[in-house]
Amino acid sequence: MEQMKLDLNNYRNLLKEYLLTKNETVLYQAEQLSKMSVQHSISPEEIINVHIEALKDLHPELPQEVTDSLDFLLEAMISYGLALQEFQFLRQKQFELESEISVAARMQETLLSTVHPSVKGLDIGAISVPANQMNGDYYHFVTDKDGSLGIALADVIGKGIPAALAMSMIKYSMDSFPDNQREPSLILENLNRVVERNVDPSMFITMFYGLYNPEDETFSFASAGHEPGFYYHASEDRFEEIHARGLVLGATHNATYQQCIQKINKGDCIILLTDGVTECRVGDRFVEREEVRQVIKDYIHLPAQNAVDKVYKYFERLQEFHLRDDFTLIIIKKEV
Amino acid sequence: MNINLEVEVKKQEASTVLVLSGEIDAYTAPKLKESLLPLTRQPNAEVVVDLEHVNYMDSTGLGVFISALKSTNECGSKLRLIHLQDRVHRLFKITSLDNIITIDTTVRGGN
Amino acid sequence: MDFKPCVTIRKEWDIVGARQLGRKHAKELGFGTVDQARIATAISELARNIYLYARTGTICFEVIDELDKKGLKIVAKDNGPGIRDISQVMQDGYSTSGGLGAGLPGVKRLMDFFEIRSDSEKGTEIEAIKWLR
Repeated sequence: MEQMKLDLNNYRNLLKEYLLTKNETVLYQAEQLSKMSVQHSISPEEIINVHIEALKDLHPELPQEVTDSLDFLLEAMISYGLALQEFQFLRQKQFELESEISVAARMQETLLSTVHPSVKGLDIGAISVPANQMNGDYYHFVTDKDGSLGIALADVIGKGIPAALAMSMIKYSMDSFPDNQREPSLILENLNRVVERNVDPSMFITMFYGLYNPEDETFSFASAGHEPGFYYHASEDRFEEIHARGLVLGATHNATYQQCIQKINKGDCIILLTDGVTECRVGDRFVEREEVRQVIKDYIHLPAQNAVDKVYKYFERLQEFHLRDDFTLIIIKKEV
Repeated sequence: MNINLEVEVKKQEASTVLVLSGEIDAYTAPKLKESLLPLTRQPNAEVVVDLEHVNYMDSTGLGVFISALKSTNECGSKLRLIHLQDRVHRLFKITSLDNIITIDTTVRGGN
Repeated sequence: MDFKPCVTIRKEWDIVGARQLGRKHAKELGFGTVDQARIATAISELARNIYLYARTGTICFEVIDELDKKGLKIVAKDNGPGIRDISQVMQDGYSTSGGLGAGLPGVKRLMDFFEIRSDSEKGTEIEAIKWLR
């Protein structure tokens, strides 16, 4: 299906001019013609055909071998013409897929969106950026009337669409738990059963769940094999790993989770992240956790949202603006 | 960057040893799964995975070992990992998978 | 004008014979060089499919002369095992890069009309038409 016929007259004139003048301007025009032909799906064999016709017009006395050899060339170009059509078809198909995925990504954003809560006395910053269009990391804040704050952070194995689908499952299971169930270890136990029953054997999810209690200014938390976060002691300007043993969600049906509690002092920070931050790879080198900690330290004095944005920008630049994995970082700073 | 995984299967008395070298990630994990899972489906089999020459593994790799473990539980076979490099071993520790998968820590992988 | 309608495909060499006969008919009908080359390539693909998957079969030609249009019809027929999943072999976009040549989607592109029927008992029959413009 040709939308445009290659104009024989135009081609003949250009060719004639070139044969006479050997002029670069004419070659430039030929280049324009070539671009336009590709845009209009004109295949190479058609161009050769027009070339043969033009040449015969200009030089009727052409030796038979020359015209025969051009027919031979035309035959040799047929597969390239097919490849061009196929390329255009695939590009169209890719475009359709991409727009479909971006619709899904927007849907996911709406489904999994969480309000950054304003909790008295806390400064909260969070950033989550997918490596591809869809995010396999997920974080969620839950606030309660009594001023407590629940924080969920999860990372599904792999990335892209399968990870995003599993994430929606986590979100909806959590929504279905009763409001009074806020114990981090119990939440993880329940989620583990949901995940174990519903996903492929090689799929698993790591998750951290924390609960801030404003009453006694404590942070209770449990971890299902999640990348350890950091606790920042402001008074000593010192970082400590947030440790809680616990198996990843989905590996066995009866996992139990250790729950820990930490008293939070003024200026202290809770830093939660996914392995997209620590498994960041620069060329052949891995970023060490030590380096991650140092970068966070450089920005920890900033307001929490500024700090997470700056840390993200740092690693984005380090990886030449191409994330290998979904990246999520949360900083919660106790202000008073 | 040469991202590849070599899988070599060795018979050793009662057990089958899978010697891996390279990287285990989303691209190479299917290859590992293909060679590992059928071995774990043989009742009473002992499957040993030698990770001495695996310098990188991501969560997709962990997923393969989880499904292999589930398969050993169903089929009555055994799975053991040996010679883990520190970086790889850390992954099993963080995820607590070292609690449910037998990891031989007496011999460390070199790097 | 003697019109030899069919070529039997048994060996790879027969592909050339089918091309040659198809090109001759196309030329006589008045197809230009480009269309002749496209028809020949389509015949190659059809004949090669027979040779590779069914071992033997026929490629037949038919001139269509209707009131408002003229064209060349190619019919490829074999008694081979049939194609189990037609939509898979017709899946577009992966043929030239897959190294298997243009494949059936390529034939569809090279011609104006394309129809395929396949059955595990009766084999495969493909009809393709190129209209003279």
